[in-house]
Amino acid sequence: MHELSLALEVCRLAEEVLEREGGVAIRGLGVEVGDDAGIEVANFRFCLDALLTEPPLTGARAEILAARGDSLRLAYVEVDDGRSDD
Amino acid sequence: MAVRTIEVRERVMARNDAFAAEVRRRLSDAEITAFNLVSSPGSGKTLLLERTMAALGEELGIAVVTGDVQTQNDADRLARHTTRLVQAVVTGGACHLDASQIATALEAIDLDQTHLLFIENVGNLVCPASWDLGEAAKIVVFSVTEGEDKPLKYPKMFQQARYAVLNKVDLLPHLDFDVDLAMDNARAINPGLRFFLTSARSCEGLDAWYRFLREQVRAVVRQ
Repeated sequence: MHELSLALEVCRLAEEVLEREGGVAIRGLGVEVGDDAGIEVANFRFCLDALLTEPPLTGARAEILAARGDSLRLAYVEVDDGRSDD
Repeated sequence: MAVRTIEVRERVMARNDAFAAEVRRRLSDAEITAFNLVSSPGSGKTLLLERTMAALGEELGIAVVTGDVQTQNDADRLARHTTRLVQAVVTGGACHLDASQIATALEAIDLDQTHLLFIENVGNLVCPASWDLGEAAKIVVFSVTEGEDKPLKYPKMFQQARYAVLNKVDLLPHLDFDVDLAMDNARAINPGLRFFLTSARSCEGLDAWYRFLREQVRAVVRQ
């Protein structure tokens, strides 16, 4: 049940990274979830996917990285800096 | 577009834990012992606190923060035993209290007049186990109507708790509940767990509970 609170905090942290990096949108993020973190992974993924529908997270891809112990970390954020590739 | 991958590795609970550290510092400065009462709904937390407030509320300067998904019924029940020290947090759907809510609740409590703080968490044996609220210890309350295997079903909560209250023991003559089996199950999860067997309804076992609370308060004030 607390997976929604944790997913909200993941999104807040990712938005902090976006602001710090001066980007315009988040394209993806990875969350490390330990096997003893007290998190139901399918439910956590459902909550994350539900939250990745609003700017600046619209359409971002969430990756769950399996880990050992009670680890729960935002591992990485893919930041779109809004500049053209060429 | 140019997408950069930024390595972060930041703990998701870091913000909560920063609030918990702040709560712990404020409680320590004010020489207040804080216990986080966790249980499933209906274990008897509120009646246990009502008895405790009636017996020791003035002597130990007890304050209570209650958490409920909706209503402040528990806070209203407890407020009958005091004129000043009950703060209600309505979580509005959330299944647990977090440390920022406790930090806010402390603003409304007269810390100088308080030696013992109870945080009555949302009735839920899963989610509150993951949130540090700045307490000295978690106390898990479960009752003899719940089944001896509760500790095995909810191991994280019993791992996180330092004390366990087995409540409603006045009902034992009417049930098949095996107290020793329940305690063995709990200690298989957490060998150091200290037990109190109580009935908040009949007051059985409450003397030992009150002695424990007095000792805890004295130990902190003496430091």
